[in-house]
Amino acid sequence: MEFTLRALQAVLNGLLTGSLYALIGMGMALIFGVMRIVNFAHGAFLMVGMYATYMLYDHLHVTPYVGFLVAAALLLGIGVLTYHGLLRWVAERSHFMQILLTLGIALILTGGAQLVFGADYHKANLPLLDVNLHLGRHITINAPWLLSFAITVVLATGMFLFVMKSRFGRALRAIAQNRYAASLMGIHVVRTEALAFGLGLAAVGFAGGLLLPVFYLYPTVGDEFTGKAFVIVVLGGMGSIEGAAVAGVVLGVIESLTSLYWGNEWALTVDFAIFLGVLSLRPSGLFGSQRV
Amino acid sequence: MRPTWLLGALLVVSVGAACKGKQGDGKTIRVGVVTSLTGSQAAFGLAHKNGYTIALNEINAKGGVMGKPLEVVFYDDQSKPDQAVQGVAKLIDQDHVPLILGSFGSENTRAMVPAVDQRKVPLIVPTATADNIMEAGSPWVFRICAGSSAYATSTTNFLKDNGAPRTLALIYENTNFGQSNAAAMKTVATAAGMTVVADEGYQPKSPDYKALLQRVKAKEPEVVYYASYLLDAVTLMRQSEEVDFNPKFVTSAGTGFSAAEFPTSTDKGAGKYAEYTFSVSQWLPSSPWAGSKEFDEAFTKLTGGHPAYHATQAYAALLLAADVLSRAKSDQPTAIADALRKTKLDTAFGPIQFDAKGQNAHPVSITQVQHGQYKLVWPGDSAESKPVATPAWSERH
Repeated sequence: MEFTLRALQAVLNGLLTGSLYALIGMGMALIFGVMRIVNFAHGAFLMVGMYATYMLYDHLHVTPYVGFLVAAALLLGIGVLTYHGLLRWVAERSHFMQILLTLGIALILTGGAQLVFGADYHKANLPLLDVNLHLGRHITINAPWLLSFAITVVLATGMFLFVMKSRFGRALRAIAQNRYAASLMGIHVVRTEALAFGLGLAAVGFAGGLLLPVFYLYPTVGDEFTGKAFVIVVLGGMGSIEGAAVAGVVLGVIESLTSLYWGNEWALTVDFAIFLGVLSLRPSGLFGSQRV
Repeated sequence: MRPTWLLGALLVVSVGAACKGKQGDGKTIRVGVVTSLTGSQAAFGLAHKNGYTIALNEINAKGGVMGKPLEVVFYDDQSKPDQAVQGVAKLIDQDHVPLILGSFGSENTRAMVPAVDQRKVPLIVPTATADNIMEAGSPWVFRICAGSSAYATSTTNFLKDNGAPRTLALIYENTNFGQSNAAAMKTVATAAGMTVVADEGYQPKSPDYKALLQRVKAKEPEVVYYASYLLDAVTLMRQSEEVDFNPKFVTSAGTGFSAAEFPTSTDKGAGKYAEYTFSVSQWLPSSPWAGSKEFDEAFTKLTGGHPAYHATQAYAALLLAADVLSRAKSDQPTAIADALRKTKLDTAFGPIQFDAKGQNAHPVSITQVQHGQYKLVWPGDSAESKPVATPAWSERH
């Protein structure tokens, strides 16, 4: 009994962390699916979202649970501008150029944050953090994690429906299938891609804002999340956003269970073992060859 | 005149000027400092810098060294070992400093040891506790702080004096600092008759340690010994409440658990979750050594908060550097190393004198967070208050 409950608690914790991973991964999958660009600056944009939420909290006392919306809107704008200013010009170039460009963006953002905010870390100490919900005697859930989980489920579903059902989503998928054919069908490729990149960043804006209360932030906080987003995109099937959503949750649960049964030091190793395993044995990921 | 020619000439002139600047103008005596001003350990690096700054002002107010003002050349290692090595190379090869102080953490400092050893320039280690820094056996390394074995010995003796608990869990970050302290504690505690029931390294800077804590909780240890930096120390204590992990003694190898912010209710602190935790300590504002109080006041004036021992160690390290340079009467590394070996200096951090291995025998005491403040609870003869048994989370209010 005790044993099962411990495993249940670990799975629950994994789900909560995994939902945030899912959101981050979905953003990266959307960008990769539409543009075939691996966004190495994904974590750095997450950091920007966290700082935006933190500044609102620190200066204007806006709770992160409202601030995350502002962070997402900000990143949507930054995404569209970055696309028009930079990414658009390498869209047709080699992957190497794209990698260098996004890596460069990441370095500038991280360096800029160190310059503006300093290297020291910050934390938003919400009273909500002290609230734990108890289910029976053995299961505990920390309130901010549960809240961010609920919000994430709504956002992820919304994002999925938007891409699958809306006209804009169809345009996105058309571009993902064939850029030229899509433009021949009257789809404005540049405008659509710009919005896709913006949406991909908005997803990390949401995630950053929701992560702030349960974590802390410093300029290089995004580095580890870029790596995780990578694993999620590969595990979910390159460019499949529903795949990324499931993969994020799966990764969270696997990390938590690894930590419980094998030791926390192995969690990251297992992440990347999965990454290598999927790449070599099932390159199409969990969701087959389906694209955005 | 071709533009390229002009550009070339400009380049030559500017490189020449840059080289000249880096040589130093001979009007000051320079020492190098490597510390972590950015990156994950920046909080401690800034404490270092404040400590060094106070010492520098003091030294120069008293006329500097050998009749010249002392100058400190800082190098930020970004909390990364490879950058710490770069710092050594830059400070010695370009700035030609005859003496280096640093870095903050064990990971970075261990990486610096071969670099100074190879260039034959003495290194004063103010804060890094891993035993392998001294075990490298370099004649150029001098450490003023106590090492991880001393931490383990003091913690074990403190436990012996307080009911001698039998079972121990080790939770430590997977870095040189964490591993070294866990290994030392394992050796010392096992020799003292305790059983290590959990030995858990973890990936630092994660948002979620609940599964790790659950795993350790299942082993029901009476004592847990943490080796963590501040970020993780706060997360670990908060999540200990979530999973209702209740060891009788929460002890630690200092660092995060002894940082000035840790017991406070500021955004960075653990607030009430820090209460009752034990930590090793190398220095407190109330320490008996002359100058402790004055340093505490100077630090509070500079930063608005009380110093933790890391700042005091940096402060004492630079005072030591000035003392050594004055005695060596030379800017040659060999003469400076000789003078270091003959050190007998009283500082706010206590007396400094190095043994044959370059280690200063510094006493380690134990503190407990009581009502949001670090109180010295061991050894008994100098204790400010008695250690308080840790209540279960459910019994706290």
